[in-house]
Amino acid sequence: MAKNEVRNQIRRLRFENGEMTQQQLADKAGVTRQTIIAIESGKYAPSLPLAFKIARTFGMPIEDVFQYEDEDSQSSETSLYA
Amino acid sequence: MNRVQKIAWSFVITISVAFLLSCIAIAILYFKVGMPKALAGLGFMGIAGLGGFSPLIFQTDKGKVALDERDSLINRRAALAGFGTSYLLVGLACMIPFFILGPKASISVIWLPYIFGVAGLGMFFVHSVAILVQYGRRNKGEKS
Repeated sequence: MAKNEVRNQIRRLRFENGEMTQQQLADKAGVTRQTIIAIESGKYAPSLPLAFKIARTFGMPIEDVFQYEDEDSQSSETSLYA
Repeated sequence: MNRVQKIAWSFVITISVAFLLSCIAIAILYFKVGMPKALAGLGFMGIAGLGGFSPLIFQTDKGKVALDERDSLINRRAALAGFGTSYLLVGLACMIPFFILGPKASISVIWLPYIFGVAGLGMFFVHSVAILVQYGRRNKGEKS
């Protein structure tokens, strides 16, 4: 089974948006601070509605905040550039 | 640590303390008064009931959101683990006597409340442990 991972740019975007704190982002997205911490560290992949809320908080499209990666896509990218 | 984790910790501690004290009491009473009376040591299991007061003791978390989708997911997974354990314990309680005593043997119905109690405590214990494991021992990287 291919290992998959949802990467995100939340930490960088928080600092680029006036050094927004995790609590401020959590309040805007309607979740707890623990959840933002878990998402930032890649321990939790948010649901689609939550991912959209977070992206909307930064005023960016969802694919600029979250990137989905799995082994298949990584290996195909590698073969493309090889 | 959020309210759910605090409640889970209180369940784990009360059930563990109750279980340990019961085992010690039964062991001591076994050597002093013999087996049927030694089961009075199970009275210490009543301590486990104190965990039921923890939702009253621990207040709702401050902040706009008390529980979110991740908390619900963790609780759902933990409940599944708890009920799975409970099902396993009842299954073992049914099948072990069957295989040891044989299909024509009979056992006293006094065992039924014990099975119910063990399955219930097992469910609460595993549910609480599963919650703590999923949240993680420490909330690493909690920096703003």
